Amino acid sequence: MGKLSNAIDERTDRIGERLKDKEIRIPINLTAGIVCFLFAVAVLLIMPQQVQVSEKDVVNGRAFPTLLMTVMILCSVLLVAKEVYKIIRKQPLEWKTIQILTEVKALVIFGILFFTYFLSKVTGLFLVGAIFCSLGFLVYFRCKKPVYYVITLILAVGIWAVFRFVLNVGF
Amino acid sequence: MMKYLVPAAGLLFTLQNILWINAGVFIGSIFAAIPGLSVILCVILFLPVTYSMPAIPGMMFLLGIYCAGGYGGSVSAILINTPGTPHAAATMLDGHPLSQKGRTKAALKIALYASAFGGVFSALMLLFLGPQVARVAAQLGTPEYFMVCVFGLTIIAGVSGKSIVRGLLSACLGLFIACIGSDPMTSYDRFTFGNSRLYLGMDLAVCLIGLFALVEVLAKAEKSRGALRLDTAKMEDDGKITKEEYKRMARPVFLSSLIGVLVGIIPGTGASEASWFSYSQAKNMSKNPEEFGHGSVEGIAAAESANNAVTGATLIPLLTLGIPGDGTVAIMLSALMINGLNPGLSLFTTDGDIMYAIMLGLILVNLFMLLQGKFLTSLFAKVVSIPQEILTPIIVIFCMAGAYSVNQNYFDVGVALVFAVLAWFLRKLDLPAVPILLGMVLGSMTETNFRRALLISNGSPTIFFSSVFCWIFVALIVFAVAMILRGKWKEREKAKQ
Repeated sequence: MGKLSNAIDERTDRIGERLKDKEIRIPINLTAGIVCFLFAVAVLLIMPQQVQVSEKDVVNGRAFPTLLMTVMILCSVLLVAKEVYKIIRKQPLEWKTIQILTEVKALVIFGILFFTYFLSKVTGLFLVGAIFCSLGFLVYFRCKKPVYYVITLILAVGIWAVFRFVLNVGF
Repeated sequence: MMKYLVPAAGLLFTLQNILWINAGVFIGSIFAAIPGLSVILCVILFLPVTYSMPAIPGMMFLLGIYCAGGYGGSVSAILINTPGTPHAAATMLDGHPLSQKGRTKAALKIALYASAFGGVFSALMLLFLGPQVARVAAQLGTPEYFMVCVFGLTIIAGVSGKSIVRGLLSACLGLFIACIGSDPMTSYDRFTFGNSRLYLGMDLAVCLIGLFALVEVLAKAEKSRGALRLDTAKMEDDGKITKEEYKRMARPVFLSSLIGVLVGIIPGTGASEASWFSYSQAKNMSKNPEEFGHGSVEGIAAAESANNAVTGATLIPLLTLGIPGDGTVAIMLSALMINGLNPGLSLFTTDGDIMYAIMLGLILVNLFMLLQGKFLTSLFAKVVSIPQEILTPIIVIFCMAGAYSVNQNYFDVGVALVFAVLAWFLRKLDLPAVPILLGMVLGSMTETNFRRALLISNGSPTIFFSSVFCWIFVALIVFAVAMILRGKWKEREKAKQ
């Protein structure tokens, strides 16, 4: 068991070492502006299908979301225009560095979260998900201390029991 | 006021309330003491618990967490030179050096006493100022209320992100999320994509679990393995504070409490701003400014009294206008509203006994914080070093159980996960999350007042400039935006230099 865990650790270390220096740089204001602009336009486009209105209304249910999306578009245009101005004036843009290793680690954590949810939902037993979650994170953190496993599992069962029997949550 | 105080005291002094206050103070201190956990996270996790409780014990529990959070952050700041909460950063500057001089217990004691003083001072201010502000708020109509919402959102959008534009983008996103579900005026469904579960809208607690709690779990990916272990300072001194030290602390504690209250009343500003501002004021006014940064008792006292003095003050705009002073009290608004308590003058008249019980309770919260701090500080100190390996899965289980328990279905757990991913992407785009929270909280109020005002004026937007109060808020918005832009410009100039 110990050998297997060491082999897994070595393998993940090697992957980590390979990904350590890999990064993507994005012009942050430009990207944020474009993403928000596209989101606002998409909302305005789906609005007629998603928001029913009555012709009698002076101010209908589309008025407020339309106002919000207009403000969003204006703010996005402002962000993008500022960056375009910088490009024209040959001033440095604001860049954000996204580290691939961090994103891969975040994906692994999201995987643990998703399977915790998935197992609980499929089995109908929250406790199954809670146990998976405890073990998943201990393995993620490469915990080698058996006492931590025992404490975490006891706490996981304890939280489930409090919600189930004290707060009467039916899972 | 007096006619409400006696019945309020009767409502407040029950065993149930005392127990909930103590539970809140205990949990809040522990959460704030652990670096990486925050008061807002704690309030989010325990919000579903209060849904089945009456208003007073529910609010007492949440206020216990909120106030104790102000003190708890100082424990790790003093012991391990890492602030448990962002507003304890100023405390760290002198707290940890004093601890390194072998006076750990004394530093913790100063932080506790100053926190309790700031908290009680702030609660008294709430008690006396709250009803006066509510009287003014009663004169506001729908267009004025819309302007109040815009004012609150603009300030919060301005101060919580790198730029006011980014803050506004986040606020718009939050307001849009609040639009999902049934139309508040016609009950037609909006942006539900045919999913009947979305008809009642997004549950605030579920969304916040994703936005603020689960995203912190995803953020563990950004930390190196070495960051999981921290060395804790030893508590071997007798914790004695000399008479001369008490004398030196008196003035900064009082002035910082006053600063904390003034800063706390302004929506969007918070404990961090108050503690840094008070710390620098205390340094400027001190006879021993050279001690600051090397274990000054005045420095610890100023920072801690200021960050706790914010707690009662942030409730003033919340209870009177429905504008939360900061993100944490924004969540408390939903705990109030679920009990049918809507902010405004009616809260101080028709529900006066409940409101005064809550305000009196805030004083009690601070006194219990003092008691627990006095006897349980060594326990809080041990909690600081709980390993992340144990803490992380426990937070996740709490989050998922909390999300499930709101409506007892797994759909909400899925929604929380979606919001965690959304929050992760927003972080990557440098878009702040607090304006989203404020947008979600104020969404319904903003839209309802916007549409009602336009209905009254037959669709004419001039109604938003039709009264003196409207113009006052327009002036305040312009002034606030100008101040925020000036501040950001100064920051940029400093960075350039």
